[in-house]
Amino acid sequence: MQHAMEPNLTPQELQKLRNNRTGLLIFQLSWILVFVCLIVVNLQVRGNFPSWPPPGVERVGILLPAAGTLALIVSSFFAHRGFAALKDGDTAAFMARWRVTLALGVLFVLAMAYEWLIVPASGQYSQLFRVMVAFHGVHAVVIGMFLWRTLRFAGAGIYNARNTWAVEAGVKLWDFVMVAWLLFFAVLYVI
Amino acid sequence: MATIIAPPIGAQAQAPRRLHISEYLRWSVDHKVIGVQYAVTSLFFFIVGGILAMLIRAELLTPQLDLVQNGQQYNTLFTMHGTVMIFLFIIPMWGAFGNYFVPLMLGAKDMAFPWLNALAFWMIPPAGILLLLGWLIGAPEAGWTSYPPLSSLFSGDGQTMWIMSLHLLGISSILGAINFIVTIKNMRPIGMGYFQMPLFVWAVLAQAITIVMATPFLAGALTLLLLDRIAGTAFFNPAGGGDVLLWQNIFWFYSHPAVYIMILPGFGVLSEVLSVHSRKPIFGYRAIALSSLAIALVGFTVWAHHMFVSLTPELRIPFMITSMIIAVPTGIKVFSWLGTLWGGKLHFTPAMLFALGFLSMFVIGGISGVMLAAVPFDVQVHDTYFVVSHLHFVLFGGSVFAVYAGIYHWFPKVTGRMLNDRLGQVHFVLTYLGFFFTFFPQHLLGMLGMPRRVSVYAPEFQGLNVVVSVAAFLLGISVLVLFYNILRSLREGRAAGPNPWRALTMEWTTTSPPPPHNFHGDPVPFDDPYGYGTEASAAYIDAIERRFGPSAPLSTERRNMPAAQGGD
Repeated sequence: MQHAMEPNLTPQELQKLRNNRTGLLIFQLSWILVFVCLIVVNLQVRGNFPSWPPPGVERVGILLPAAGTLALIVSSFFAHRGFAALKDGDTAAFMARWRVTLALGVLFVLAMAYEWLIVPASGQYSQLFRVMVAFHGVHAVVIGMFLWRTLRFAGAGIYNARNTWAVEAGVKLWDFVMVAWLLFFAVLYVI
Repeated sequence: MATIIAPPIGAQAQAPRRLHISEYLRWSVDHKVIGVQYAVTSLFFFIVGGILAMLIRAELLTPQLDLVQNGQQYNTLFTMHGTVMIFLFIIPMWGAFGNYFVPLMLGAKDMAFPWLNALAFWMIPPAGILLLLGWLIGAPEAGWTSYPPLSSLFSGDGQTMWIMSLHLLGISSILGAINFIVTIKNMRPIGMGYFQMPLFVWAVLAQAITIVMATPFLAGALTLLLLDRIAGTAFFNPAGGGDVLLWQNIFWFYSHPAVYIMILPGFGVLSEVLSVHSRKPIFGYRAIALSSLAIALVGFTVWAHHMFVSLTPELRIPFMITSMIIAVPTGIKVFSWLGTLWGGKLHFTPAMLFALGFLSMFVIGGISGVMLAAVPFDVQVHDTYFVVSHLHFVLFGGSVFAVYAGIYHWFPKVTGRMLNDRLGQVHFVLTYLGFFFTFFPQHLLGMLGMPRRVSVYAPEFQGLNVVVSVAAFLLGISVLVLFYNILRSLREGRAAGPNPWRALTMEWTTTSPPPPHNFHGDPVPFDDPYGYGTEASAAYIDAIERRFGPSAPLSTERRNMPAAQGGD
């Protein structure tokens, strides 16, 4: 993601930005593997049963999670649009789009929290479901709080077209939340 | 073409400031301070793990229970020994070397993320304390591998603290690895491509890649084990529909690469030490560099060889093949190191002695590894002392020998003082003999059928066990010689000067110890970090000496190294 004002950064600032971007990318590539690990766990556990969900266990409904997933995808789109606005120096548009991002994120978390609460206890199926949804939910909440913090700081004038790294990081982290959830969604609801 | 650094005016007058001990006890973002913090912490836990090993060997002097009152206490001893040595000694010790020397070798002022670097270190002491405190509330007794159901249903509450301790250490490890990768990728000086980097930096890069790819799986497995212990889930409990093999699969998917996490930087140390102390260009630079990456990647395809006895037969052969294949890049390194030594002017410094010790002992560990990769053999010696012997030949004969070589090689740079050569030689002889007679007979014990992780054994094994225990005590004493040498040299060791080994990598182009921002001005790397034996390299090294003053061994070793014979 190139920054409109990057040519005006000092060599030290450019180096720092470059390091931040590389560091965040490696962190994301590394940490997504915890989610992959849980997927592997899911696949190995279900391989021990003749069918999945196990006989006598009802699969959770897909409608509400699908709506939540759509909200998450749209929120990610708005996050990118907000970041583009900030790079162009339009802080007001950034804040408006960022609020939409957060609102949709909250909807997603609420939907999944509801799913987490209503899934009936059914041994391996429900405990895998709950652990995966909760593990993702913790990430969504923590990163969502970071987005909320950037919104407050942007409102205070701290972020602007020259100082965008925290917002850029927020966008990338929110993308992480989305990608991790799409992986989980496929395993929990599709296959 | 050699590039000579032009010394800025007055640079010689900048004497390095020696830090007070209190500056190592508090938060610092200086990579050198953090490196020393890692080293001292690791050495502390080395002592803890070593004492536990001595207790294990004291117990095994006789076939019946003597020192411990029951098997549970013995389980705790080997569980804590393995965990401390792996997670609190070897892995953080490579963090020490990496933190101190990677920025220096790259000519950088610090790591990419100094604050994160400090954070990664400061997770280690609480993790260690958490682990040891577990003893007070019911120590873990499931071994460092912590297989369920022993770790989930039977082990004491200290097992829960073991899990949290490893979680902390894993996060620390990932943060440190990210820092290394970014530093190496983004902070190389102009003119230093990947294939001009010192091989130690290559090794740290391969290790860091392994850490960021493998450790998340440990985090996932630990989380599930924690939930099984405290939240009533049954991921690893067959009675609840869980699967004990699930843990083994995930744990080894992390822990076999973790073996390379523990040995790859040691390979880097070997490349540095062998080249410098044989005054010879490294043989097969690219092969060594790329084989580190190959080991890191192939290491992810071999995990199930730890589970041959529980694996379905059709899966055994593929894992047997991959486990044997990984010997190829390791063999490439070994032959490259032999090629480096061939025709070199060998200086048997303590660093060189330990490097040669590594070569001989690690090769034995590698060969026994290939033997264990063969399914028919593995099934016979599974869970016997043969396995204990193999892993110690790799992790002590390999990793610890490399740590020792690195300490003797770089102690002068870190402290500005030389370690005593004579004490170093005594340390080497005691270590070599103690190590060999501790672990080689364990091959025989294993093949004779003595199981590992037992405190009571058949009387016919006592003879060999006495030999092993006596040698282990000798090995324990050898460590005291190292510590005495370190403490004595810190007080009264000869001043080292900037470049006592007349080496070409960039950490030697500054004072010993280096100043806060590492270099006076911007250092310029020599084109070939292993280009010994040329007039250009001699001129480069002489320029360093003119700039920073003479180095300690000028009065001894270098007199025996006529420049005309390729002394540099």
